[in-house]
Amino acid sequence: MTLSLNRRQLLAGTAAAGLASVLEGRRDAFAQAGPRTTINVRIDRELGVLDPIDRKGPWDGNIIRCVHQRLVKQKPNSAELENDAAAEIKQTSPTVVEFTLKPGQMFTDGFGEMTAEDVKFSFERIVTPPPGKPATYKGDWVNLEQVEVTGKYTGRIVLSAPRANLFDIAIGDVSGCILSKKAVEQRGDAIARQPVGSGPFRVENVEPQRGATLKRNPDYKGPAPRFEQINIRYVSDPRTTELALRSGELDFAILPPSIAESLRSVQGLTITQEPSIAYLWIGMNVEKGPLSDVRVRRAIRLGLDVDQMLVAGYNGKAPRLNTLLPPQIFGHWSDAPVYRRNVAEARKLLQEAGASNPRFKLLVLNQPAQQNMALVAQALLREVGITIDIDAQEGGTYWSAGKGDTGKNLDLFLLRFNGKHDPNFIMQWFLSSQIGNWNWQRWSNPEYDKLFTQSAGELDRDKRRDQVIRAQRLMDESAAYVWLTNESNFIVHRSWLRPTGVPGWIDWQYEGFAST
Amino acid sequence: MSGETARYLASRLVTTVLIVFGAMVLLFALSAIVPGDPAASLLGPQVEPDAARQFIQEMGFDRPVHERLWHFLANVLTGELGTDVVSRRPVAELIASVIPYTIVLTFAAILLAVVTGVPLGVYAATHRGSALDNVLAFVSVAFIAVPSFVVAIFLLLIFSIWLDWLPVLGAGAVGDWADQAKRLILPTVALSLGWVGFIARLVRSSMLEVMGENYIRTARAYGLPQAMITYKYALKNACIPTIAILGLGIGRLLGGAVLVEIVFSRPGLGRLIYDAILVRNYPVVQGAVLVVVVLFVLVNLVVDLSYSAIDPRIRRDVSRAGLPR
Repeated sequence: MTLSLNRRQLLAGTAAAGLASVLEGRRDAFAQAGPRTTINVRIDRELGVLDPIDRKGPWDGNIIRCVHQRLVKQKPNSAELENDAAAEIKQTSPTVVEFTLKPGQMFTDGFGEMTAEDVKFSFERIVTPPPGKPATYKGDWVNLEQVEVTGKYTGRIVLSAPRANLFDIAIGDVSGCILSKKAVEQRGDAIARQPVGSGPFRVENVEPQRGATLKRNPDYKGPAPRFEQINIRYVSDPRTTELALRSGELDFAILPPSIAESLRSVQGLTITQEPSIAYLWIGMNVEKGPLSDVRVRRAIRLGLDVDQMLVAGYNGKAPRLNTLLPPQIFGHWSDAPVYRRNVAEARKLLQEAGASNPRFKLLVLNQPAQQNMALVAQALLREVGITIDIDAQEGGTYWSAGKGDTGKNLDLFLLRFNGKHDPNFIMQWFLSSQIGNWNWQRWSNPEYDKLFTQSAGELDRDKRRDQVIRAQRLMDESAAYVWLTNESNFIVHRSWLRPTGVPGWIDWQYEGFAST
Repeated sequence: MSGETARYLASRLVTTVLIVFGAMVLLFALSAIVPGDPAASLLGPQVEPDAARQFIQEMGFDRPVHERLWHFLANVLTGELGTDVVSRRPVAELIASVIPYTIVLTFAAILLAVVTGVPLGVYAATHRGSALDNVLAFVSVAFIAVPSFVVAIFLLLIFSIWLDWLPVLGAGAVGDWADQAKRLILPTVALSLGWVGFIARLVRSSMLEVMGENYIRTARAYGLPQAMITYKYALKNACIPTIAILGLGIGRLLGGAVLVEIVFSRPGLGRLIYDAILVRNYPVVQGAVLVVVVLFVLVNLVVDLSYSAIDPRIRRDVSRAGLPR
């Protein structure tokens, strides 16, 4: 038998063979034989700075918390705290916390053992950062006077005044991460990309626009993480994330409800719905024109149908919120009024206020959920006699719209903030001192400010709860807020993967991710 | 290099500097007009007003635009593109880390578009009015009309999800060429498809025009083979407008493949600029735009030189128009 090939056949054959070799083993690139040792996790924002002092958001914080130890940390899937780097920690007075470190906790890259000096350095640098670094998270360590080092492993955290959320916001959170003093001094700014910690993972690399790779830290003294490696992949587009979950390139992601729902039928994927602690509301500028009249604000509140808006924004898959604090936060006002739409009453209020056919601008982020809700609000308020012009802006413009004197021009706005498991953290943005910064309502109430200060330093839980609920009542009376939802997280993951996170799912616990 | 070419090159280099300067002036002016507080976007919600003010001062965002522009240009002359205000990394380092992906994707897309579009255009011109010519006309317009990100999503659905042949995400592991090649296929096709249609239409119309020229008729009269007439004499001249368009195309893709980069989650210059604009990270925007503008101008310079090399008449015309003899 003879085989003859002409030039054209040879070229075609070579091309086909090349393509086949490229396509070959498509699955092999992602599949791993036996139990998985590596997982791929999606984040929707680019990593910024892996240094507690200058972190840009929860996506940074989640890595920082699994690379460093804290004196205490949250238990898996819980907001409850347990000892981490501390062998013992106790509040000996309202303003003093004493701690003893476990001996032998080693920093990676040969930076030695963790001592109380490292604790002092880490906490105090948040309050007094080195030159050139803004004190972005100074508020986390408010009232910190100093950390006294009393021995190699022992120290005292001394406050200038009592503080109720010291453990939740400072000691047990990102600002409580313990860095190696020596490493920070030696690496300088590079510590933000090559962090040195003693936690369950270490950062193998950080690549712009790609994400980061975490590797298990063999020297970690606590329980070893289940996975050897976690690839944190920055994928901004939720549709691409959906496809990557379908194709097996991602193992874990949190997605908007509409996209997550479309994955329900995909074999091998599990979708879990968890209430969030991010909260969304329509705010009103109480200094602006007709909105300065509480009757107009109440008319708007009665003219809206929150449930309808949530159907438009979240396919009805988000819980309704009736007060500032979501149910899972200490101090939630469970008896808060649930306002139902009442067009007649709303019109009456407008008439009483002498506001005939008022026209307002509603600022929203140019994001589908917010825009859909704004459209529904526009239609609902039209029936009341209020004209709404929707002003959809991209992030950069939107997030500075309420700042400084520019904020005086706002009318209505849809706003969403991330929360933490502490009422005072959530309440702080509505203080009088935040006008021109994050209090876009420009609502000022001395009693609210006082209740905030009192509750922040109140160590008696019952008293603190009463103060926090009273503060929420004042917000309700102002009618400057139409609470919408504390959202739901739709966690999509491989069925064999058991992700862990602090309830609310803003804080993920990579070290606890395991296979079932 | 002839004196004519040298003069032409010199005039283009002067133009290049002016274009880059003009683009940067425009960019700085726009950054002054566009609303948005970099401190709010970059430092997060907890930032204290004092810290925000300090940040704005340190970054020089409170200075007048002309001062910032002067400072930026002075730094550029010393090879310094500034510092990313988010990661505190040098902007040049950030650009260097993503630019190879952009260049590879751009040239792969253009190459694929040329390799496919030119033969289709030639075929359509040489078989004018045939059924295939009509089909190609329809398909080409369809390719041009459909945005590349829509093509990208369809390609992903077909080749990654349905057939399960190619991956969805990223640009591949660093150093793993096979992985990188695999992940380049779909973005390349998505980007090039519109250009395939465009080039096919352009080549067809240019070829039809050239085929009616006297020298082609003369070649036919001399009895030269049709293939030689088509490919050696007609196509060479018909390609000049295509080459000009390709220059623009490469320039556009260098900074403008944003949507495809987002859909495939690939690193790239376009995405770097897009992400930086969203958070008002001006040093990155300025540095990356400068690089895109310089590349754009340089690519077009090379293209201009190449077609003036193909057709000496163009060189003479430009030389006359450009510099006095």
